[in-house]
Amino acid sequence: MSDHGTKISSKEFFDYQGFGGKLLFTVALAVLSLGLAAWGGFLSGKQFAFSWLFAFTFFFTIMAGSLFWILVHHAVDADWSVVVRRQLENIAWLFPVLAILFLPIIFNAPTLFKWMKIEPGVDPLLDGKAAYLNEPFFWARAAFYFLFFSIAAFLLRRNSVRQDKDGDARYTWSSRKMVFPMLPLFALSLTFGAFDWLMGLDFHWFSTMWGVYIFAGSALSSMCVLVLLVTALRSAGYLEGVVSIEHYHIMGKLMLAFTVFWAYIGFSQYMLIWYANIPEETVWFLRRNTGSWNTLNIILVVGHFFVPFVILLFQATKKKPLLLCAVAAWILLMHILDLYIIVLPTYHKAGASPHWLDLVCLLAIGATLAAIFMKRLGDAPLWPVKDPRLANSLKLRN
Amino acid sequence: MQIAGNPESQLFAMGAEVPDASALYHAAEKVRDAGYTRWDVYSPFPIHGMDHAMGLKKSWLSALVFIGGLVGLTIAALLQFYPSSIEYPLIVAGKPTNFFTVPAFFPIMFELTILLSAFTATFGMLALNGLPRWNHPLFNWNLFKKVSNDGFFLAIEATDPKFDEEATRAMLESLGAEHITLVYGD
Repeated sequence: MSDHGTKISSKEFFDYQGFGGKLLFTVALAVLSLGLAAWGGFLSGKQFAFSWLFAFTFFFTIMAGSLFWILVHHAVDADWSVVVRRQLENIAWLFPVLAILFLPIIFNAPTLFKWMKIEPGVDPLLDGKAAYLNEPFFWARAAFYFLFFSIAAFLLRRNSVRQDKDGDARYTWSSRKMVFPMLPLFALSLTFGAFDWLMGLDFHWFSTMWGVYIFAGSALSSMCVLVLLVTALRSAGYLEGVVSIEHYHIMGKLMLAFTVFWAYIGFSQYMLIWYANIPEETVWFLRRNTGSWNTLNIILVVGHFFVPFVILLFQATKKKPLLLCAVAAWILLMHILDLYIIVLPTYHKAGASPHWLDLVCLLAIGATLAAIFMKRLGDAPLWPVKDPRLANSLKLRN
Repeated sequence: MQIAGNPESQLFAMGAEVPDASALYHAAEKVRDAGYTRWDVYSPFPIHGMDHAMGLKKSWLSALVFIGGLVGLTIAALLQFYPSSIEYPLIVAGKPTNFFTVPAFFPIMFELTILLSAFTATFGMLALNGLPRWNHPLFNWNLFKKVSNDGFFLAIEATDPKFDEEATRAMLESLGAEHITLVYGD
């Protein structure tokens, strides 16, 4: 059981031969949908602002979740995740791009966050929160989040890519030392990011569980993206003999765990507010539990928890890549619905009214990130080829 | 061949000792490939991948735990819905008494599901392992006491359809096993 030097015949680098068409299509889609989104912004500024925030937070949570998995990988010195870590690093390294896609939110901030337009002394609740909810601090925080996420993603990816050349264990040590201070900073950045951009939509409302709730969705949806991404690469002939069914089994288990965790946190938050029945707390759920929003909310509870939970419970699901991919895609769809129910009711108070801009904004941000992701995919090997723990990861058995 | 226990009683198994964990792992692979079905390995600590080396199938425990969890969930739901929604509906804090009062019942449903799942997992595991029991025939074998310290053993039970004193012994010897012993039931 101590056989080292496992030979991998699969190609280390992504081959762009015959891939130009797909790349070009994604770039064209990004340009087209960004243009459409901009046009929609002129037609209906307010709808655009909310649609963009909704789409932005969807991709933000996925990338934050990817960074989270890298941090955990190094912090616990994990073996199994070595083979899939490079793809997580590639996703997290898109943070600087996401920072640019934050620009429309900067320009539409007063539309989205009403507290920005209210003078001091008008709303006593806002005055009480003024030490936190003021524009200079708000923008300083946003800058800090993006700076931190980008630097963390950059440093960890740089260590990992440098290790590909000489396989020096020094880089593993260096990454591990880095992630311990990064973990609390990550928790703070994600929590307050969720407070600022999502809870801040209704500045009267508050929930101390909000950060954990968004985190649960982040970790879950990024694991789903990883499953889809790894399967796409495998079906294109890469990662052959690198990622095995055992890795799928673990990713499936994490999907199950975070499906439960999401439901646990979401329900805990809901039940405390529902049971205490204090108007300043219930206002958030009152609107979302009325009319068509309520229908969507029931779909969310069933679709985001009960359906994937029951399917993922069985070991056979986690060991069938295609079935696991179907579940992952379904959960991502539900994560979109989750954020839709969080963001859009602030604008469509009376009931859900889907707008073409919702879809276009998702496409615009998604295609932009995807195009840059594809462009960079060939920059480094598809998995950390000389990681000291690679051999352990390759012969993983549950 | 050595003998342990009372030779007048029923033969339990043919036991043998191997030098270390790695030898036990590879011996298990060979016994598996030889087609034996009623046999087991004994070691002072769990050996990673041994279930695979022994060719064990997936345990039925998860199915039992699933049923246990469902029973817990059902009990919790009935114990709460029957009195609070059917037998004696009582409006508390303006909450409904129909199905939509379910958030208030969720914590109990959750906890009972966990509790009965955990009970089923623990006691089901013991039952599937044939525990608790007063004694085990292998304890008649003095050498076997090493198993909680530094001994690695495998025992092929006499009830195995392929069990044959000569053939089994020859196979164990070919594995490099030592101290091949016939262990009797009493």
